[in-house]
Amino acid sequence: MRARSTGQREERQQAFKCGLEIHIQLDTRRKLFCGCATTMAEKEPTGVVVRKQHPVASELGEIDVAAQYEFLRDRVFHYQVFRNETCLVDLDEEPPHPVNPEALQIALQIAMLLNCDIPPEVHVMRKTVIDGSNTAGFQRTMVVGTSGFLSFKDREVPISYLTLEEDAAGIIREEDGIVTYRLNRLGVPLVEIGTGLLEGYSPEDVQEIAYTIGIISKSTGRVKRGIGTIRQDVNISVRPEGRVELKGVQDLGVLSKVIRTEVQRQLGLDTVKHETRAIRPDGTSEFLRPLPGSARMYPETDLPPIVLGKDFLAKIRRELPESWTKKLERFARELKLSDQLARQILRSDYLSLFEKIVNSVDVEPSVVASAFLSTLKDLEKRSGVKVENLTDQHFEDLFKLLAEKTILKEALPEILKDAAERPDQRIYDVVKSLNLGLLTESELREIVSRVLKKEHASAEKAVGLVMSQVRGRADPQMVIALVKEMSKSYR
Amino acid sequence: MYSERLKSELSKSRAEVGDLLRITKPRVIYEGVLMPKTILSSSSALTLKLASGYNVSIEYEEAMRIEVLSKGKPVEFVPAESLPEKDPTKPSVVILGSGGTIGSRVEYLLGSVYPAFSPQDLVLAVPELKQLANIEGRKIFDLFSNDVTVEHWKILCQEVQKEVRNGVDGVILTHGTDTMCYTAAALSFMLRNLPAPVVMVGSQRSSDRGSSDNYVNLMCSVLTACNSDIAEVTVCMHGTEGDEFCYVHQATKCRKMHASRRDAFRSINTLPFAKVWYRERSIEYLRDDYHKRGQGEFYLDTKMNPNVLMLYEHPNLRPEIINRLANEIDGLVMVATGLGHVHTNHFNDPLGVSIQEALENLIKSGIPVVFAPQTLYGRLNLNVYASGRKLRAIGVIGDGADWLPETAYIKLMWVLGHTKEMDEITKMMMTNLAGEISDRTINETYLA
Ligand SMILES: [Zn+2]
Repeated sequence: MRARSTGQREERQQAFKCGLEIHIQLDTRRKLFCGCATTMAEKEPTGVVVRKQHPVASELGEIDVAAQYEFLRDRVFHYQVFRNETCLVDLDEEPPHPVNPEALQIALQIAMLLNCDIPPEVHVMRKTVIDGSNTAGFQRTMVVGTSGFLSFKDREVPISYLTLEEDAAGIIREEDGIVTYRLNRLGVPLVEIGTGLLEGYSPEDVQEIAYTIGIISKSTGRVKRGIGTIRQDVNISVRPEGRVELKGVQDLGVLSKVIRTEVQRQLGLDTVKHETRAIRPDGTSEFLRPLPGSARMYPETDLPPIVLGKDFLAKIRRELPESWTKKLERFARELKLSDQLARQILRSDYLSLFEKIVNSVDVEPSVVASAFLSTLKDLEKRSGVKVENLTDQHFEDLFKLLAEKTILKEALPEILKDAAERPDQRIYDVVKSLNLGLLTESELREIVSRVLKKEHASAEKAVGLVMSQVRGRADPQMVIALVKEMSKSYR
Repeated sequence: MYSERLKSELSKSRAEVGDLLRITKPRVIYEGVLMPKTILSSSSALTLKLASGYNVSIEYEEAMRIEVLSKGKPVEFVPAESLPEKDPTKPSVVILGSGGTIGSRVEYLLGSVYPAFSPQDLVLAVPELKQLANIEGRKIFDLFSNDVTVEHWKILCQEVQKEVRNGVDGVILTHGTDTMCYTAAALSFMLRNLPAPVVMVGSQRSSDRGSSDNYVNLMCSVLTACNSDIAEVTVCMHGTEGDEFCYVHQATKCRKMHASRRDAFRSINTLPFAKVWYRERSIEYLRDDYHKRGQGEFYLDTKMNPNVLMLYEHPNLRPEIINRLANEIDGLVMVATGLGHVHTNHFNDPLGVSIQEALENLIKSGIPVVFAPQTLYGRLNLNVYASGRKLRAIGVIGDGADWLPETAYIKLMWVLGHTKEMDEITKMMMTNLAGEISDRTINETYLA
């Protein structure tokens, strides 16, 4: 185990309890309750539907109708619709289709990987939501696993539940009482994984647990990647009374900081109110207006319970993906990845694409891994490149060219940058237009000879001059060898 | 149904639906409220509603223990607030309930749908109704719209008659949406010279959801009932997918054109009477050829002969089937193709069949045959093709009519309640009685 700084050890003694709720979008072809694509790529809406929502009378007395009334009275919802990514189901104009079996299967896989109890039948529920982010006024959700655990540092981290639910519409803006939503995210399948109470862990441990849940989900190869595809909420309390829910942590890397900041904040207060706070990108939080209605849940009367047959479950269990610990070992053993690289690629959004490429293309796995891990990060951080524009096809083509030795690994950053900037191009066209294809030997000889003739330089200097002309298009070893060979004749 | 073993386990522990249970299994303990058994669910599992609100089913196993932690309370609706004192400056509206989605409430714990209808319930769902009118009302039936019959129509007419004779400013009739237009058409033949609006309304989305269309539909129908002078039976439902306005449709020209959309109800071959903007609380008239308050003497004429059949023309329909109808029915509505065609094998094709002779025989035996268009849009014309002319010659009724099949069906029932004479039947059928036949169609009505 790594040594910890004294500061961390001190904070570790400041005991806190927390619970995690992790939301992960599934990479299915179709949405959870309709036939729409889950691509969320369409830019231009084909129309807008204007709706109001109204308070629903409460029989259980759980919801403050007056508060609902006031909230909804002042708001009109504008829903943007898209040709391929929204339909009448998303508009609350058609009853839900049966639950997408592909999504149910992935959710069950994750539940099994988290050692959950799988219920014999699944009941779809309606959870009242009044902020307009669901056109129906409720979100459909179902429990597919309970009472699981995951092993972490010789302890069992309790997993309370795993639910499969529809994602809400994405908000675009709220202006003068008009709230505009894009409907293409509505209905995208999502699993929500809730841990039990985590006690006696450090903020770093909790972050590591969140990562591990992410890795386990990704090992199905069927979760979406990119910004907003994993979101998490965390409940934190330092005292027996008063629990604060922090919503919407999008970057797992800031979770430990978020927890530490919140623990300090709560310690500085005399009393802690139950409240919900939203996470800013820098990891600090702001108060979020609590919306009534989160507790109200009742059966989805448009869908019968789904009976999970024993054979069906047994088949999913037989075909479960390799466990992440085994995968880690295998990456080191077979792919010769360093332990650090193997752990990083396991956490990466590109895990399943990485596996696909190293299994199908004859290319050095560590080169593929570092392209996904460092090259993309560099492009994003240093040059502000939108790497989310890059598709699986881009990467597959790229590594094929690398395997065929049409390009060199040194050329990857430039090719990726150009492809991300104009993502409609194919990789072949990028390589052509950037003139980054590997030079043939005779082309290279011509350049070497030109340099040697013109500059009358020493062999050492000539290598430098040639390299500056052919960077990314010729193997440096080959340049050295050719200069060495040809300089003899110019001496 | 539960399996025998689970049933005996439940009865041993005296567990009943609604009770809070603890179920102990070797590895886990569940606590939650026992839910009712639903059809299509596994017999060896029971379903608990957990504290989180989720329903989770639990497989029976031998080592399982069931305990009742507390007994459930019977379901009780929180009583709706009482209606305010009558405001003499406001118009009065009576809401009559016949069932359907709009007159039902969801019981959230168990998720069951209850028929629940009172003006208090509606005002609870739509508090703004109180600002528009003094609202009274009562439930007449609890029916799925498919179960409404001619006898129910008669009772509804009598109830409407009672209210308008009492001087109410408007009547609202809530109804299931599937057959709402049949009821609307029937009432418009039975209620002659109405002195006040009779507005039919329903909802396409149940009232448990914040997005329900009941809010806008009820607001607009009350506005129509108390503020408009459209003294006819109308249908008032969403005009678009959004929550903007409702259309007020003429009952005999209105049809449910979509299985689920909010704006399923459309006027066919005509414009709606009006648009009602619920937020602005204003009525925008699109036509003025409706029957107005105070025109003519109101009376009820509910005589109907329900023994009428509607038959859809299609290739291969066999004449024997129509021949057999002669002893069964008193009238036939043939929903014909195009301008009003059925297969007549005009050129004596050896593979062809014709139902023309069968129809002719029906007419000869005194059973009227009325044509209506499958295309819904457009007007019958039996002059254009030779086969049409032949049908006209044998006495088929409907040439030139632009009525809906359902309206033709209702009208034939009503006409047969008044006469058995073929000439009289033909004359009454071809006379416009409730806006069902128009003499011109403007172009913007198509697919509007
Ligand atoms: Zn859809």
